[in-house]
Amino acid sequence: MADAAATAGAGGSGTRSGSKQSTNPADNYHLARRRTLQVVVSSLLTEAGFESAEKASVETLTEMLQSYISEIGRSAKSYCEHTARTQPTLSDIVVTLVEMGFNVDTLPAYAKRSQRMVITAPPVTNQPVTPKALTAGQNRPHPPHIPSHFPEFPDPHTYIKTPTYREPVSDYQVLREKAASQRRDVERALTRFMAKTGETQSLFKDDVSTFPLIAARPFTIPYLTALLPSELEMQQMEETDSSEQDEQTDTENLALHISMEDSGAEKENTSVLQQNPSLSGSRNGEENIIDNPYLRPVKKPKIRRKKRPGKVTGKKGLFAAVLITKKTVQRVQDIWIPLIDSRFVAPLSHPRTSFLFLSSSGLQVFH
Amino acid sequence: MPLTGVEPARMNRKKGDKGFESPRPYKLTHQVVCINNINFQRKSVVGFVELTVFPTVANLNRIKLNSKQCRIYRVRINDLEAAFIYNDPTLEVCHSESKQRNLNYFSNAYAAAVSAVDPDAGNGELCIKVPSELWKHVDELKVLKIHINFSLDQPKGGLHFVVPSVEGSMAERGAHVFSCGYQNSTRFWFPCVDSYSELCTWKLEFTVDAAMVAVSNGDLVETVYTHDMRKKTFHYMLTIPTAASNISLAIGPFEILVDPYMHEVTHFCLPQLLPLLKHTTSYLHEVFEFYEEILTCRYPYSCFKTVFIDEAYVEVAAYASMSIFSTNLLHSAMIIDETPLTRRCLAQSLAQQFFGCFISRMSWSDEWVLKGISGYIYGLWMKKTFGVNEYRHWIKEELDRIVAYELKTGGVLLHPIFGGGKEKDNPASHLHFSIKHPHTLSWEYYTMFQCKAHLVMRLIENRISMEFMLQVFNKLLSLASTASSQKFQSHMWSQMLVSTSGFLKSISNVSGKDIQPLIKQWVDQSGVVKFYGSFAFNRKRNVLELEIKQDYTSPGTQKYVGPLKVTVQELDGSFNHTLQIEENSLKHDIPCHSKSRRNKKKKIPLMNGEEVDMDLSAMDADSPLLWIRIDPDMSVLRKVEFEQADFMWQYQLRYERDVVAQQESILALEKFPTPASRLALTDILEQEQCFYRVRMSACFCLAKIANSMVSTWTGPPAMKSLFTRMFCCKSCPNIVKTNNFMSFQSYFLQKTMPVAMALLRDVHNLCPKEVLTFILDLIKYNDNRKNKFSDNYYRAEMIDALANSVTPAVSVNNEVRTLDNLNPDVRLILEEITRFLNMEKLLPSYRHTITVSCLRAIRVLQKNGHVPSDPALFKSYAEYGHFVDIRIAALEAVVDYTKVDRSYEELQWLLNMIQNDPVPYVRHKILNMLTKNPPFTKNMESPLCNEALVDQLWKLMNSGTSHDWRLRCGAVDLYFTLFGLSRPSCLPLPELGLVLNLKEKKAVLNPTIIPEAVAGNQEAANNPSSHPQLVGFQNPFSSSQDEEEIDMDTVHDSQAFISHHLNMLERPSTPGLSKYRPASSRSALIPQHSTGCDSTPTTKPQWSLELARKGTGKEQSPLEMGMHPVASAPLSVFTKESTASKHSDHHHHHHHEHKKKKKKHKHKHKHKHKHDSKEKDKEPFTFSSPASGRSIRSPSLSD
Repeated sequence: MADAAATAGAGGSGTRSGSKQSTNPADNYHLARRRTLQVVVSSLLTEAGFESAEKASVETLTEMLQSYISEIGRSAKSYCEHTARTQPTLSDIVVTLVEMGFNVDTLPAYAKRSQRMVITAPPVTNQPVTPKALTAGQNRPHPPHIPSHFPEFPDPHTYIKTPTYREPVSDYQVLREKAASQRRDVERALTRFMAKTGETQSLFKDDVSTFPLIAARPFTIPYLTALLPSELEMQQMEETDSSEQDEQTDTENLALHISMEDSGAEKENTSVLQQNPSLSGSRNGEENIIDNPYLRPVKKPKIRRKKRPGKVTGKKGLFAAVLITKKTVQRVQDIWIPLIDSRFVAPLSHPRTSFLFLSSSGLQVFH
Repeated sequence: MPLTGVEPARMNRKKGDKGFESPRPYKLTHQVVCINNINFQRKSVVGFVELTVFPTVANLNRIKLNSKQCRIYRVRINDLEAAFIYNDPTLEVCHSESKQRNLNYFSNAYAAAVSAVDPDAGNGELCIKVPSELWKHVDELKVLKIHINFSLDQPKGGLHFVVPSVEGSMAERGAHVFSCGYQNSTRFWFPCVDSYSELCTWKLEFTVDAAMVAVSNGDLVETVYTHDMRKKTFHYMLTIPTAASNISLAIGPFEILVDPYMHEVTHFCLPQLLPLLKHTTSYLHEVFEFYEEILTCRYPYSCFKTVFIDEAYVEVAAYASMSIFSTNLLHSAMIIDETPLTRRCLAQSLAQQFFGCFISRMSWSDEWVLKGISGYIYGLWMKKTFGVNEYRHWIKEELDRIVAYELKTGGVLLHPIFGGGKEKDNPASHLHFSIKHPHTLSWEYYTMFQCKAHLVMRLIENRISMEFMLQVFNKLLSLASTASSQKFQSHMWSQMLVSTSGFLKSISNVSGKDIQPLIKQWVDQSGVVKFYGSFAFNRKRNVLELEIKQDYTSPGTQKYVGPLKVTVQELDGSFNHTLQIEENSLKHDIPCHSKSRRNKKKKIPLMNGEEVDMDLSAMDADSPLLWIRIDPDMSVLRKVEFEQADFMWQYQLRYERDVVAQQESILALEKFPTPASRLALTDILEQEQCFYRVRMSACFCLAKIANSMVSTWTGPPAMKSLFTRMFCCKSCPNIVKTNNFMSFQSYFLQKTMPVAMALLRDVHNLCPKEVLTFILDLIKYNDNRKNKFSDNYYRAEMIDALANSVTPAVSVNNEVRTLDNLNPDVRLILEEITRFLNMEKLLPSYRHTITVSCLRAIRVLQKNGHVPSDPALFKSYAEYGHFVDIRIAALEAVVDYTKVDRSYEELQWLLNMIQNDPVPYVRHKILNMLTKNPPFTKNMESPLCNEALVDQLWKLMNSGTSHDWRLRCGAVDLYFTLFGLSRPSCLPLPELGLVLNLKEKKAVLNPTIIPEAVAGNQEAANNPSSHPQLVGFQNPFSSSQDEEEIDMDTVHDSQAFISHHLNMLERPSTPGLSKYRPASSRSALIPQHSTGCDSTPTTKPQWSLELARKGTGKEQSPLEMGMHPVASAPLSVFTKESTASKHSDHHHHHHHEHKKKKKKHKHKHKHKHKHDSKEKDKEPFTFSSPASGRSIRSPSLSD
């Protein structure tokens, strides 16, 4: 039996040594509680006449006791809350015990038994040390049902709601008032600053500072500032109809893509097409090529030597010719055909001293 | 049958009015315009034109073309050098240094000058002699190709260059150039036949910087690089015969947008504005669809282009297959107010594409048909787009405008016919300008002309139904499009010209109705009808006795005889009655349908079939009449003043569904400031279904009524509680809701109500403090963060409201206005204005609406004596470089300052701007504003009115504005407003009051000094002391006023000048020419000066003046002696004055002499030249022109 006690004592020390590894105060607390329970189990075993017990069986019993007590607590809490209280009463515990099949009547007799052992309060080994500097206010004392050896309540500010600011303003009027005056103040300050730092005009000859007007300065391109929405407004606009905007950019990209393809064929003409990337903002994707004369590539000058017709130029000329035929419209075909002919006869290698310039109005000699 | 050019013209003439008779002895078929160099730095243009011309008569030896301000280098006909002279009499209207300063004289001379070069009379500034080698060729009526090389240097009109002064290339700077002008002004930028009736096909070529785009009429055939690849040439072909006046050009670094709905439509705008362009033009295809549908006719051209440019001459200018718009019409999706305005402009220009560009006019007197039709179909588009209410409101507005204008100035004549050509028969003798030519018209008159034209077109529609109307249009269009596809030789092109008679004929063909009386009344005659109506109810007979009187004696009125619709709303319903207005019948008995008001509970049927409950307690118990309307459909151009009881007006306002009736009743209720009126107006204001414009005008009426009732009213200021209920927060009524302009109706109401409220006045005639605080709160709590739309117009109107609340300052002993004695309310207002104006510099609003309102408000504060009156601020905002709206607002303030403070300095500043500002629109606008708000008028004494000013203005209209018709007419208007028709009263009298009229051999009072009869009499009556000289003159000579006549033979020497030169261009006679000239042509009036007296083209009055001056010197002519007793009596009063002015006169005299000598010299020179040319005979030669055309071949002639 002494062995059991010894084991109990050893168990205590054993756990203590085990606790060395864990520095967590919460773990310490749990361990301390379990140790107390082990002491209880050991003393009960001693009472029941055991000389010694295996560690494993003590542990098992401890586990059972802990479960039992926990269950009493949990169940009692339920009964207590069932009757809309927060503090459990005796009857809650009684009902719980009855419910758990315990004969409550035997309890007083058992408590008064002669051979019972009294367990002393466990020594407080690791009192949580709170840094003094951070204490704010008085720590709350334990309520009567909590033994004093339990840890102290933490500082009140950590769990008590403290009104450190006024109620958040939800009053519409005040909000509007505030927004308005805030804006006005900002505007006033800004304009005053601008007026102070720049040239001003005044309505009063005698006082130029009370109502300073930023001097009127002419713009070089006045219509741009007048017509284009400011960046602020642009933002707003984007926010309001971003979906539409997306659609537009999509088609723009598409158009750009197409124009890039086109320009691959005739590099010289990319500038025109790129200037207007959004030209072909056609809704139906099928009809990509819009026949508009302003979208057509700019032709290169038609050069023709006086006496040497019929000479075909290099690839570029051919390219241009092909491109033209692809895009030629029927109604202007008759005008285009002679031009295409002239494409083939440009002698690029020869000095341009005098050449014929073919236009639809007739032949003209240029020097 | 082989047709030559002559026959069809003659045949047509025989047939009568239908065919078109060309005033020219040739027909233009094709023209090439090639501009191969445009220099933005120097603002110059170099190019050539080539006109293909078929003579229609043998012996054609001179060809007259139009050209102004162009420098002509060389003219070749069929590759042969041709001689030419260039004379532009409109450069300086009254040539010689004339002492004549009266407008009568000027207007006649100006009309004569315009006539002398009028293409519609076969005239032109440029006269080309056909080389003699070609005479035979011409006699065979073979084609002539006239090739003219020309250049333009710093053009002042016709072409407008916009070159911002920033860094970078011209394209980067956004430099652009475009053609502009009023009516046929194409001659300002290339030589042509500048007539709407001379159609031809076109080839247009423009070589521009590679980064630029040239937009012009017709199809862009191709774009070709020049050899150095730095420039591009745009080739345009216009195969539809078009008048030169409809040719246009715009060149600039434009961004190009192909219309996503119609690929043949292309839009152009200046760099960076593409997003705006996209939004603005996104609506255009619907307009196309609409017009094509109603006209059942495709758009006549194969393509359409819109170009948006800066510094526009007018907001909308329509040319063949392209329209030029002001860039300021562009807007983003956030702008509410501008959207309908811009759409209107687009629709207007498109209507003019059909009628005006595609279909052109035969002569100026047919202009009304085109303006009328395009205005009318534009109205139909308005009706469809904006609804019937908006349409009717617009018609009412236009009607009120034309009525007000005609009553003020005395009549707008749509179809002027000039029989006989005598000025005395002039149908527009009440006007200070001639209406014979579009170029002599006052701009305001022309706008009113257009307004009347479309109203009359609507009257025709009323008469023959819209269906027939559209059929007529369709007929005109289909005839024209058939003609347009024909070759020239078929002579069908004149089908593309519309004439009044042709139009009326197709109306009668299509509808079978006779509209002659209507045409006679409104088209051939000027004036509007003025009705006065009143009524009495005869209970015994149950008859409404209506009395309708007319005023047809006041200026601008005419008598109306014919049907007149009257609508009577009775208890039992609404009934239409058509009365016959006859000569003498004033009273009309109209039987009433409703017996009495037995069935009180019954609902009352309205005109539109609706039945409503009315509270009938207000009405007269004996009469079943609720209200009466005269001419509810506006089928007469009239003003109606109708008398009915206040409760009737109130019923009309509440229950009549026609917006025009509601508007009329609002106007009438102003005279009945009673609680009942107030209630009716408030109810209308609250009614959501009511048309927003009616509600807006109800606001202002309510303010007026509230002011009249101020002594008895105890409640809150009118409209305040209403506004609070509609637009303010429920919980805090002094705070306005955050902006949400999704409902446009309430947006407009929300904008307007505070403006009207600010007009409220309390018993002390001050704006109630409550109202001012209220408006200030609106501004303070304005919050647009959550809004989809911009609030710039709303904020601008809040500033307008602040300005409206300002009342005249209580001034103590004219103390100087300083900050210390500033009224506290004004201080608050000023605080807001300062903040707004400064914020605009940091975050500018669309079109700077807020700055505009602030400037106006500051002027109001100045004018009411709260702030020292000072134009410096406005002058700085009026500078070139500010947005045009700001400039106009600032200039308006300066004009007002000039008037109120009678500042000579500011007037000079304004006049200087009129002459030198780079923007034609601004110059025009200043003149316009000065005319509307003149610093003084003819009957007013003013320190500003002095001789220097007269001279300055005279110079301005005589020669200073020759490059812009509109500007010149504006100057004439101003001169008229300031000095009247006769000699300005501030001028010192010439030394001699009498002149000799040698022709009639009698002495008359110098016409230059006869005061205008009315003005003089008034003045004499009003302040007899101010103009004693007038009294003195008038008595002995009052009868001689009739003799005040300007000798038309001598009024304008330019005509003589031309004919003189033509005489010198030694010619065999052109028999066909005179035949082809209409009898009314001015040239018929002018005697051909024989070569003998060609060196004295001076005017006769002047000559006599000269004589008189000599007389006063030493030797007095016997004639002079004989008259002396008569003349000296009045003159003796002014000896002092005349001696004082002698010095300057002396100078003038000398100057004059000198000039004359010079002239003589010149003429001699030319004489010599004539001899020379005789010797050289057939050798081609060129003349040095007095204007700018300089000959290359004969440098010795250029003096």
